[in-house]
Amino acid sequence: MLRNTDLSWGTPAKLLHWAVAALVFLQIALGWAAVTWRLSPMKLDLFVLHKSVGMLLLVLMVVRVAWRAVNIAPPLPADMRPLERRAAHASHLLLYLLLLVMPVTGWIVTSAANIPYRIFWLIPLPAIVEVDKTMADAAARTHFGLFAALSLLLALHIGAALRHHFVKHNNVLVRMLPGT
Amino acid sequence: MIHPSLLASALLVAASLSAQAAEWKMEATASRLEFATTFEKTVAPGVFREFDTRLHFDADKPAEGRLDVTIVVKSADMNSADVNKAIAGADWFDFARFPQAEFHATDISRTGAGRYLARGILRVKGVQQPVEVPFSWAETGDAARLEGEFIVKRGAFGIGTGEWAATSVIGADVKVKFNVRMRKSD
Repeated sequence: MLRNTDLSWGTPAKLLHWAVAALVFLQIALGWAAVTWRLSPMKLDLFVLHKSVGMLLLVLMVVRVAWRAVNIAPPLPADMRPLERRAAHASHLLLYLLLLVMPVTGWIVTSAANIPYRIFWLIPLPAIVEVDKTMADAAARTHFGLFAALSLLLALHIGAALRHHFVKHNNVLVRMLPGT
Repeated sequence: MIHPSLLASALLVAASLSAQAAEWKMEATASRLEFATTFEKTVAPGVFREFDTRLHFDADKPAEGRLDVTIVVKSADMNSADVNKAIAGADWFDFARFPQAEFHATDISRTGAGRYLARGILRVKGVQQPVEVPFSWAETGDAARLEGEFIVKRGAFGIGTGEWAATSVIGADVKVKFNVRMRKSD
């Protein structure tokens, strides 16, 4: 099943969801390791890997949003209260937004700090802003602030999915799993 | 009686005095000394903001020339606060112990029209290594442009020691590029 239906998500939507999910957790681990590692070749490699996965996430998210835009989405369960619906829509919108904006703020940090790199040591990434120490610091703080916001949203997202499955006994979680 | 060989050397001295090579001094504001290494397979350029070049040179008699360059190592700027801080350390340039780098050449030869080769000794971080520096020389009146580039291996000078000696993250080759404006001083 390629396209989304009223009942479930299609295969591309599922693949994109789980690929992004796995990469986001990898990305958080890489970012944390890169920042805390002592200055060494390993630290520089960790940063290149973190920046590479970030650009991969940006590409995946653009594809994901485009795919979402040309597809219907399976509707929320009918018994959800209006407040819950609004919270669900808002949190998903914010998740999409954060996953698009975070790689861009990282891109600004690496450009403003003038640390060019090749994505996965292969594809050179052009700078998007001028070299500017103040800008680099501000973008780095923003990047970290957005990471904190993303962590909260992820906890909410996972918590809500588990609540739908184990407390409300509906198909919200299951329809995102493979083979449904 | 004057010995013929003594006369010959006296004449030679006289000849070299009459065609005396000029003293050239650098115009700092119109001169640049750049270097470029590679960082994670990406070119990482830098510049030494403070350096001086002295040249004793006659384009027609390069063999009598002498080139002296002094570099204030801590003026190195790689246009990144983080990188500038890192290269000051003992693993890299070690600004505190080795504030000055030098190049001295007394062996200059012509290699083509307006092109020369200076063979000399480069001293960086207390390490001396023989280096060949090709350059072009374009003279107009009292001014001249000295331009060229050459490649050195950072490892030979202990630039990047310990775990940084590996060249997978920071490359082995450093390209040094100079474009210097000289003025005849007398």
